[in-house]
Amino acid sequence: MNILKNLDFATAFKDLYPELLKAMGTVLGATMFGFALALIIGTLIALGRISKIKWLDWLLVVFLEIIRGTPLVVQLVYMYYVVPLLLSLVVQFWIPDYQINFDAFTAGSVALGINYGAYLSEVIRSSIISVDRGQMEAALALGYTKQQAMWSIVIPQAGRIALPTFGNYIIMMVKDTSLLAFITVYELLLRTQAYASQTFLTIESYTLLALAYLVLSLPMAQVVRVMERRLARHV
Amino acid sequence: MSNAIIEVNQLRKSFGSNEILKGIDLEIKQGEKVVIIGPSGSGKSTFLRCLNCLEIPTNGTVKVHGDYFIKPGERFNEKHVAALRTEVGMVFQRFNLFPTMTAIENVMAAQIKIRKKSKEAARETAEIYLRKVGLAERMNHYPSQLSGGQQQRVAIARALAMEPKAMLFDEATSGLDPELIGEVLNVVRELAKEGMTMVLVTHEMNFAEEVGDRIIFMDGGVIVEEGPPKEFFHNPKHNRTREFLQKVEH
Repeated sequence: MNILKNLDFATAFKDLYPELLKAMGTVLGATMFGFALALIIGTLIALGRISKIKWLDWLLVVFLEIIRGTPLVVQLVYMYYVVPLLLSLVVQFWIPDYQINFDAFTAGSVALGINYGAYLSEVIRSSIISVDRGQMEAALALGYTKQQAMWSIVIPQAGRIALPTFGNYIIMMVKDTSLLAFITVYELLLRTQAYASQTFLTIESYTLLALAYLVLSLPMAQVVRVMERRLARHV
Repeated sequence: MSNAIIEVNQLRKSFGSNEILKGIDLEIKQGEKVVIIGPSGSGKSTFLRCLNCLEIPTNGTVKVHGDYFIKPGERFNEKHVAALRTEVGMVFQRFNLFPTMTAIENVMAAQIKIRKKSKEAARETAEIYLRKVGLAERMNHYPSQLSGGQQQRVAIARALAMEPKAMLFDEATSGLDPELIGEVLNVVRELAKEGMTMVLVTHEMNFAEEVGDRIIFMDGGVIVEEGPPKEFFHNPKHNRTREFLQKVEH
């Protein structure tokens, strides 16, 4: 019972609050950047696969299998430690001794973006396919080119179909930013760990950490629910 | 130079090894109303879809207003085909309105995107055509808030707003409840009176007889018989036509 008596949430909160707030900024930044990148990558992969160009489809499937077959943490580590080395090797053909470095945040967000882009591409692809073929035909009949019809008629509708799923992926990404701790991004987990190991306020620190994630994810989940209801209206 | 709006020459279309259209020739003159009838699988819808190049012919040519969709010996040029498609409006069995846009936005979209009109000009034109199809009161409704008949009338307005030289109707009333067919036919009838060049694929025989200048009976991918409605319906020459007409008239 001693442990419970000695709990000191007040101190932990006072000390951790500014830290966690800063870390939340990092988490949201990485999520925003990572998800924007994921949307771009996901859309390009989806369109590439829909294009029916055989070699391109094959190439993209190989890429998807690599992303889906390796853990996100490994991808993060790879992006942070290995990719700069490989890029440097290539650049050194032209500029001797040139070293490329990614800062941890950039490497982490880009890796998140690529990883999520791979998963989103399937969501986007199936949404595009699920848009009635008549929509494309109606647009073509009105004089749209295929590309115009795709971007201004089909993809907006696919987006509506995919939006609630996107919402869930954003929430997942917020939580997955905790893995950025592995590559030294000073986000929620790493900051909390640092504090907990200095003060031994273990229960307090990690409980606050969990709450911090909930503060981020619960409102998002609510937004997703509202979106689902609104978008269902005119489909 | 002839006054043909649509000229079809030796049109053939296959899907894989299955030949759907087996060499069709047709000329449609300015202001003419051509009705295509025939059993399902006769190729009439495929033929109609070739008239705006939604189906790319395997062989033969289609000209609109003297311009080829695909010139003989040349490859499919998407930009050219898209531009020529604006001259031919199409109305589909399943309306195919854009569900995320209101009625008036549906009618405005292509005017802005393709005809490069200003928003104001597009809205003005859209209002004119929506009024024409009797939907002045429903301009700001979404397709999901409209009945099938109303949706089809918006689709007609959408096609008309591009000011095409001819209109194609692909079983425009087949997807409608019986009590809603009339309102759509009235709009088509009105268009016919105004002299719009039209090609209709339909199962409405009475309407075909009333509106058509020429009836075409297709079966097995060829034109079996064609003629003015009176002659066609009351004195068909071919056995196959007679059989078909007997079947559809109860």
